[in-house]
Amino acid sequence: MLRFLASRILTMILTALCLTFIVFFLTNLGPNLEKVAKSELGARITDAEVESWLTRNGYMQPVVLRYGEWLGVVPGFTHEADDGAVTGRCIDAETPAEVAPTFCGVLQGDWGYSTVFRRDVSEIVARGLGLTGKLMFWVMLVMVPGALLIGVLAGMREGSRTDRTLSTLSIVTTATPEYVSGVVFITVFASSAVGLKWLNGSATSAMDDITFANFTLPVLTIALYGMGYIARMTRASMTEVMTAQYIRTARLKGVSFPNIVMKHALRNALIAPFTVIMLQFPWLLNGVVIVETLFNYKGFGWTLVEAAGNNDIELLLGVSVVSVLVVLITQLISDIGYVYLNPRIRIS
Amino acid sequence: MTQHFRNAEKVHPAATLYATEEKAGKLDRREFLTRATALGVTAPAAYGLLGLSSPAKAEAHATSGGTLRMQMETKALKDPRLFDWSEMGNFARGWLEYLVEYNGDGSLRGMLLESWEANEDATEFTLNVRPGVTWNNGDAFTAEDVARNITGWCDSSVEGNSMAARMSSLIDADTGMAREGAITVVDDLTVKLTLNAPDITVIVGMADYPASIVHSSYAGGDPSVNPIGTGPYLPTQNDVGVKQILVKNTDHTWWGTEVYGGPYLDSIEYIDYGTDPSAFLAAAESGEIDATYQTTGDFVDIFDAIGFNKTEAITSATLAIRFNQLQEPFDNVEVRRAMQLAVDNSVILELGYNGLGTTAENHHVCPIHPEYAELAPLVVDPDGAAAAIAEAGHADTEFELISIDDAWQAASCDAVAAQIRDAGINIKRTVLPGSTFWNDWTKYPFSATEWNMRPLGVQVLALAYKSGVAWNETAFANAEFDALLARAMSIENAEARSEVMAEIETIMQNEGVLIQPYWRSLYRHTAAGVMGADMHPTFEHHHYKWWIEA
Repeated sequence: MLRFLASRILTMILTALCLTFIVFFLTNLGPNLEKVAKSELGARITDAEVESWLTRNGYMQPVVLRYGEWLGVVPGFTHEADDGAVTGRCIDAETPAEVAPTFCGVLQGDWGYSTVFRRDVSEIVARGLGLTGKLMFWVMLVMVPGALLIGVLAGMREGSRTDRTLSTLSIVTTATPEYVSGVVFITVFASSAVGLKWLNGSATSAMDDITFANFTLPVLTIALYGMGYIARMTRASMTEVMTAQYIRTARLKGVSFPNIVMKHALRNALIAPFTVIMLQFPWLLNGVVIVETLFNYKGFGWTLVEAAGNNDIELLLGVSVVSVLVVLITQLISDIGYVYLNPRIRIS
Repeated sequence: MTQHFRNAEKVHPAATLYATEEKAGKLDRREFLTRATALGVTAPAAYGLLGLSSPAKAEAHATSGGTLRMQMETKALKDPRLFDWSEMGNFARGWLEYLVEYNGDGSLRGMLLESWEANEDATEFTLNVRPGVTWNNGDAFTAEDVARNITGWCDSSVEGNSMAARMSSLIDADTGMAREGAITVVDDLTVKLTLNAPDITVIVGMADYPASIVHSSYAGGDPSVNPIGTGPYLPTQNDVGVKQILVKNTDHTWWGTEVYGGPYLDSIEYIDYGTDPSAFLAAAESGEIDATYQTTGDFVDIFDAIGFNKTEAITSATLAIRFNQLQEPFDNVEVRRAMQLAVDNSVILELGYNGLGTTAENHHVCPIHPEYAELAPLVVDPDGAAAAIAEAGHADTEFELISIDDAWQAASCDAVAAQIRDAGINIKRTVLPGSTFWNDWTKYPFSATEWNMRPLGVQVLALAYKSGVAWNETAFANAEFDALLARAMSIENAEARSEVMAEIETIMQNEGVLIQPYWRSLYRHTAAGVMGADMHPTFEHHHYKWWIEA
């Protein structure tokens, strides 16, 4: 078990390193750096000024070295101006050059500064994660029980009318991407165009205060997409279990149908959906980007869009690290959880 | 309404002249008000010169309390001199006030200045500081504060300081700083400005949004971090891209309460919904906002339909679809002229802005400006355009028109590109998100920029087309134009000035500086019960006038 965990964590670190290096490399291409200099100093500066600003702020060093600085394994960049004033990566208004640490990277807990939001990256990422966490919580609460229920109902009698109806429904919701269903939902349930106006077409107020009206549509938009998929998986697994020998034996013994489903089939049928549900987390991050932008909910996905749109290097890196962690940790949980659900599988 | 009539006793002779012009029909009323009040005549006195009484104020029965939520892009603040967005000024306006205030009717009135007087030829201005004003940290507001801020505006060595262009008549061209003796503190409540040439725009420039008055302790950076100011509100939340909140400062006695009344609202929330108007609509329909910052295009009708009240400001705000003359192939004047030739401005107004404005004539001087001179109507000749492009050797060149990703600006550019394409010229459209568009707005070879209105026609020309000024996005550098503009800035008489303006406008057209399709009216929609938050021609938010019907 420990060896398994260790190897998993090692993979996680390696993946995070590779991914952040790619993001770092792409955001630090020449034209992107020029954009950074211009957004800091104003659009009208000359190429010479761009160059001098980039040199003064350490952007002209080799990418690998700078990546090391960001990580915190290479000493932070310093620059001594002609008048003797020392500036550098680890130096700011609160920590002058004399007391500034040599290393200031992610390993030291310094995630850098967001140029778009004018705050520390850690603060912005935490704010985004908090808001997205709330969204995810409600999405899971709607999606998982809903999907399992639909899947079990459809799968317990394969080919029945219930099965066909529910399966069609599942396929339709899964086949509709969020950017389509979201717009349709807003038009139908929130706008004067149709006139129902039951719910809110904007989730901005949900950042302070979640209500049924302002949070239903974003939650439903993400949940429905995943729900169909999980329901299909559950149905497949359920139909398979229902044809197993021991179920037939139970029926022949005269066990009632509800009892067979609840006591005998369900636990075995839930192993496959469990993995699928855990796999949904990374997919949900996808949906979150679209839905948060659509509904103006300023969580993690929206932060990512803003960071990418503005070439906010350190914020983008922070977001990537967190994304990698979310994906790999959910995978880890799913692998471990599997063992408990199915005693036949041993980790080593 | 308490007003100080000190100036009315000694009305500036030019103001009397303007009044005669207005009565003779040479000057319209809003321009008369702008020009007369710029010379130090109070608004009621200016109305008096016309034989009218000042319009009655509706705020008599205003109720206090409540929160107003407005949709607005919440941008990061910086040194006010460097503000490049009205939104920045509007949030900071809660605690950082201005010397003078430009009003929707075209008049100027004193805020931190009680009054001002110009000498005969507008080369000397005496500014009378309003007595009894205090900063919210308890310090008294004095003439020193005024002089210090004006000196700061004059510092053209500060990268991006657009106030320097507005204060050019106070600046020593050699040092780039305020000229020795240009700004004199006479006594605690009086400042005298000595200009190097007659300049009628100095006072008007002090009403513009980068002219916030900051405290002596302010040392650059985000002014909301340590919000010392004279205004009635304080910032309690400043989340860029998310939300900005102003809350009434109960520990501070605001001077304006007894002079102009207000402030009524307990707090004002600015909520960011990006640049997509359909998001504003969703927010309005969800009851998340009480007012839009601005309503544009199709959405004017849609907001009317959902029961929001419309307020309108007639302005010289416009869309400048300009060429950058340093960039190939627009360094060739023939190419620029050909592009203009291919475009029918009235079609752009119809398709791009639903006809909510009037057509413009590619020279950025508006008929509502006092100095406007009418030129011969523009010629539209698509065939001639294609021929000229071919002659310039660009028959196979694919041009690119860049615009920001929003409803009306993108639609207008689409219409322009379509007309150019119809003329047989290759052109592609690029739409950039707002976040990236502004990084390089002065550098694109061919792109569209939104320009807000300025009260006088010469102002925007000095700000955007004079050689080498901070916001000159066309890279237009023409010595003759600069000389004529300087002359126009010194001519008091509107009619005499418009003769010079005719030459200036002709140069603008002949040089093919920009395609300027229309002047637009500005609209804001407010929910039922929101009062006083009318659209302002230069997007200013006068928070103290806003209230919500209980």
